[in-house]
Amino acid sequence: MIRARLGDWALALVVPLLLLVGYDLWARGAGDFFFPPLSVIGGNFADDWLFERVPTDLLPSLARMLAGYAIAVAIGVVAGMVLGSLRTLAIALDPVLQFLRALPPPTLIPVSLLVFGAGDSAKIFLIALGALWPVLLNTVDGVRGVDPTVLDMARSYRIPARARLLRVVLPAALPRIFAGARTALAIAIILMVVSELVGASNGVGHTVQLAQRGFNIPEMWAGTVLLGLVGFAFNALFVAVERRALGWHHGSTGRGGAPTRRTRLRRERPRPVLTPTRTAVAVESAAAGPAPTEGSVPDARRQ
Amino acid sequence: MLVVSDLSKTYAPGGEPAMAGLDFTVGEREFVCIVGSSGCGKTTMLRCLSGLIPPTEGSIELEGRAVQGPPEDMAYVFQDYSRSLLPWQTVAGNVSFPLKYKGLSKAEAAAATEEALAAVGLADRGRSYPWQLSGGMQQRVAIARALAYKPRILLMDEPFASVDAQTRAELEDLLLDIWRRFEITVLFVTHDIDEAVYLSQRVLVLHKPAHVFEAIDVDLPAERDQMDTKKLPRFGELRSRVLASLRAPDTTSA
Ligand SMILES: Nc1ncnc2c1ncn2[C@@H]1O[C@H](COP(=O)(O)OP(=O)(O)OP(=O)(O)O)[C@@H](O)[C@H]1O
Ligand SMILES: [Mg+2]
Repeated sequence: MIRARLGDWALALVVPLLLLVGYDLWARGAGDFFFPPLSVIGGNFADDWLFERVPTDLLPSLARMLAGYAIAVAIGVVAGMVLGSLRTLAIALDPVLQFLRALPPPTLIPVSLLVFGAGDSAKIFLIALGALWPVLLNTVDGVRGVDPTVLDMARSYRIPARARLLRVVLPAALPRIFAGARTALAIAIILMVVSELVGASNGVGHTVQLAQRGFNIPEMWAGTVLLGLVGFAFNALFVAVERRALGWHHGSTGRGGAPTRRTRLRRERPRPVLTPTRTAVAVESAAAGPAPTEGSVPDARRQ
Repeated sequence: MLVVSDLSKTYAPGGEPAMAGLDFTVGEREFVCIVGSSGCGKTTMLRCLSGLIPPTEGSIELEGRAVQGPPEDMAYVFQDYSRSLLPWQTVAGNVSFPLKYKGLSKAEAAAATEEALAAVGLADRGRSYPWQLSGGMQQRVAIARALAYKPRILLMDEPFASVDAQTRAELEDLLLDIWRRFEITVLFVTHDIDEAVYLSQRVLVLHKPAHVFEAIDVDLPAERDQMDTKKLPRFGELRSRVLASLRAPDTTSA
């Protein structure tokens, strides 16, 4: 078992290593100013990010990103639970929500700079706004998709409304909420960088942009590599958290663990969840516009 | 204890009724089985009785009070048993889930849960998750949840449909035992005529749209035994009567 895991790890490392070696060989031969060899980028990376600029640029970036993300998740889940439970409200608010989510967040940079100034608030606002929609809309769908039998059960045992919401609806919607939160995380990281391209005085995105303007190409690449690593690390962290929180879900849908009668039954029903491929699409298109989510708010699956 | 008068339910306005003019009374501590062809409205009836859906017409009185929402002291074992379990809770978590809101202390809830799981033969599966169990075991979890709740009236919708014959016989006897010990009233929907006659004091035969076509008193000795009771000539006669009633052309239909 463990040996098999190690084998998988080794296998997964082969392609990245080949790419790196290939790039390095090519860059050394080509001698292109814009594509320095790995050693140069690596040296710059060590100079900048181990750990001189960590407190001055990396930590402020991450703090803003996490703040914006936390706000987005908190508002998205709470508002999504409300909208998912109250059909009338969802219908009434749908046009506004659809409009807001269709706004590409970067277009709000000028407005947010005017309203919040050039400080952290404008950037946190932008990140929160962009990351909000996938969480909100997935939560709404998750709440709507809760099995009616479970709700009947809770009602027939006279579970109070509050407990029904927190201990039945919320856990049942959690897989969808996590799917939304994962898309939102990618968007938050993108907007972290985007928000630093205008009116910033620190941050990784700001550093990369300054390096590019000063034709300090290795430093630009070092910052870019760092951003890639940040995205990778946060995604890995997210997956670990999700695995803990949704262990039951992976078990009950047969991902890991032997399939049971029930999991087979479950698989037959289509489960609309943001798949990894769609997440990837979301990452690519997020900077440019809204995140893809399922359906519009008022298309109630059942009454 | 339960008075059902002229109950009707039409799901889609102007559509076919699922239940039309259902009338019957259930006495305190009675065990009543309900049989009827598939789709004749048995589940619809139970959902109305449990206060989950309002009837289109008619009234339901439970212990003198009109049923408007889910009444106290009632437990309902759903036909979709596996979907009525919470997949993020363990088996024990599922059984004890409603108890806290009934006002039981943690210790009382744990004791009731343990007792109910032992009664359905799942004492050692408390820490499993429902989706790790077979269909029949999941059904027993749903039954254990209802038993642990200690209701005064128990509604069961084909609760033994997916267990093997041996377990089924055991669960039937368990249910009879609980019914006697805890002095509860049971309304039990089944497709199995033997089961209906074996368990009950009265069998209600429903015809579509759900109304009582015939109520058959089961005048068998109170003590039931899987072997002896089913060998009685009277048992065979009652079976045949229920079967004939199920197949009879409807004359009472509204
Ligand atoms: N939620 C609903 N909306 C519309 N029609 C419904 C609904 N539930 C049941 N019906 C209809 O009402 C009729 C009775 O259904 P019901 O589920 O009560 O039957 P049943 O006697 O329990 O059947 P079975 O023995 O197969 O469980 C059926 O024709 C069904 O199509
Ligand atoms: Mg039914």
